[in-house]
Amino acid sequence: MSEERTIRRDRMRFIKNSLCSNLAILGILFNVFYFVSLYQSDVGTYYYKIAIGASIVYNLIFMLAVFLASEGVKNYKQNYSYLLAAIGVMQIVRIFYIPMQAHSTTTIIGGAEALVMGNGQFYTIVAFLAISAACLIASAVVNFIKCRELSAHLKELGIQNA
Amino acid sequence: MATLNIQHIDKIYDNNVQAVFDFNLDVKDGELIVLVGPSGCGKSTTLRMVAGLEDISAGKLLLDGKDITQTPAKDRDMAMVFQNYALYGHMTIYENMAFSLTLRKENPNVIHKKVLAAAEILGLTSQLNKKPAQLSGGQRQRVAMGRSIVRNPKVFLFDEPLSNLDAKLRGATRREILLLHKRLNATMLYVTHDQTEALTLADRIVCMSMGHVQQVGTPLELYDSPANIFVASFIGLPPMNFFDVRVSGAELVGEGFRVGLDAAEQKLLAPYNGKAITLGVRPENIVLGNDVPVTVSSNENLGMNTLVHGHIGGSKAVSAKISAKLKGWSDYKYGDTVSFTFKRKHFFDKETTNAIREEV
Repeated sequence: MSEERTIRRDRMRFIKNSLCSNLAILGILFNVFYFVSLYQSDVGTYYYKIAIGASIVYNLIFMLAVFLASEGVKNYKQNYSYLLAAIGVMQIVRIFYIPMQAHSTTTIIGGAEALVMGNGQFYTIVAFLAISAACLIASAVVNFIKCRELSAHLKELGIQNA
Repeated sequence: MATLNIQHIDKIYDNNVQAVFDFNLDVKDGELIVLVGPSGCGKSTTLRMVAGLEDISAGKLLLDGKDITQTPAKDRDMAMVFQNYALYGHMTIYENMAFSLTLRKENPNVIHKKVLAAAEILGLTSQLNKKPAQLSGGQRQRVAMGRSIVRNPKVFLFDEPLSNLDAKLRGATRREILLLHKRLNATMLYVTHDQTEALTLADRIVCMSMGHVQQVGTPLELYDSPANIFVASFIGLPPMNFFDVRVSGAELVGEGFRVGLDAAEQKLLAPYNGKAITLGVRPENIVLGNDVPVTVSSNENLGMNTLVHGHIGGSKAVSAKISAKLKGWSDYKYGDTVSFTFKRKHFFDKETTNAIREEV
């Protein structure tokens, strides 16, 4: 193994995993963009249903969980990679629920038929969710790799993994 | 490492208060210079001018022969260690030590090597993941030193780094600084008001008072041949005793005592015959004898030595105070009378307060 790589690994003993932590925070940020874009919709009573209530609750839980995970990955905790990966996949799944349904539905506003979600809003929302998912999955994968590397390095040094 | 030349430096503040007067010093490569003096004497101001934290009102500052008088602090290649450590509380020890190099955008791997090397020197390897609040005062000061070491500066500047530590830790950290100096062979400027630190650490001491340099010399020179009454009184613990005496041929006549002079002393004081001078005697140069009768006022046993304080003659009101550091354990009581002899004497001109020395 090259000396440079050894030093890079050794640095992980003292440097926080800020890359993964920041990616997770970025995931939260794009999720915020997503729900702000979604909740600003004004299309009569279409959204007045339980799915939106559940969506709001999920967003709150999402932000709390990802924030905790971002602190976890900052300290090279491998288990938080699984959590972030799962939440990242959920972000993809969410594209096919409220946004997709709203995009393919019309409603009556002022006696006239109108699209619940236009193409512009739909693609913007999908982009936010996709970027959020990408950030979370990238954070999970990078953290997983780093944790494995650090663990192997500590084993070489004969130090118990903290 | 580097040489530092401080030439005729003055510091005058905006309100026209002059803090430093005509400061001159040539610091050799690898030398540890200690600036010592009481509070307000201008030693920290001088150090801050060298660091670039204060403007220099007049004079020149040369580093390795290059004029840096107007150079900003960040470009002077000097590292300063402060009394209050100045560590970032939210960063780990590793991050604190790496901070200056990170700002310079050095290669992270190079930073890592330097930080580990400095931590090894200072015995901080096991503390690198901790925050400053989790360390003792001595350890924090070592971190502050480590932060300087990683920069590999030309000159290290220390501004009373041990003042926040308790007596025991101060002694230990002082020895660490001395070892660090030997190990790095670095040029260092060290400010303190503690004469013990000055005597134990310095290659040379600069003794200051009221913004003026009083004497520059090795610790032994300052202790053994003080230039004036101020240096004589400031260096040495307990401080030197001073007596007003009159030179009278082969003896000195003081209030309530007479002490004889040897041939060399007579020759030295010949121009002062019949005149008043100040006699200085260090407490450790006083032994039991027959010359000076003293009435004891207090007796402090220190184990190896005893400090005997008293006043010469019988009347407290008119006679001079005296402190003697006698070898061994003594048990004098208040009011006891004891007689002393002065082994080594220092003479000072009464008007100028300068030491009376042989013309070279």
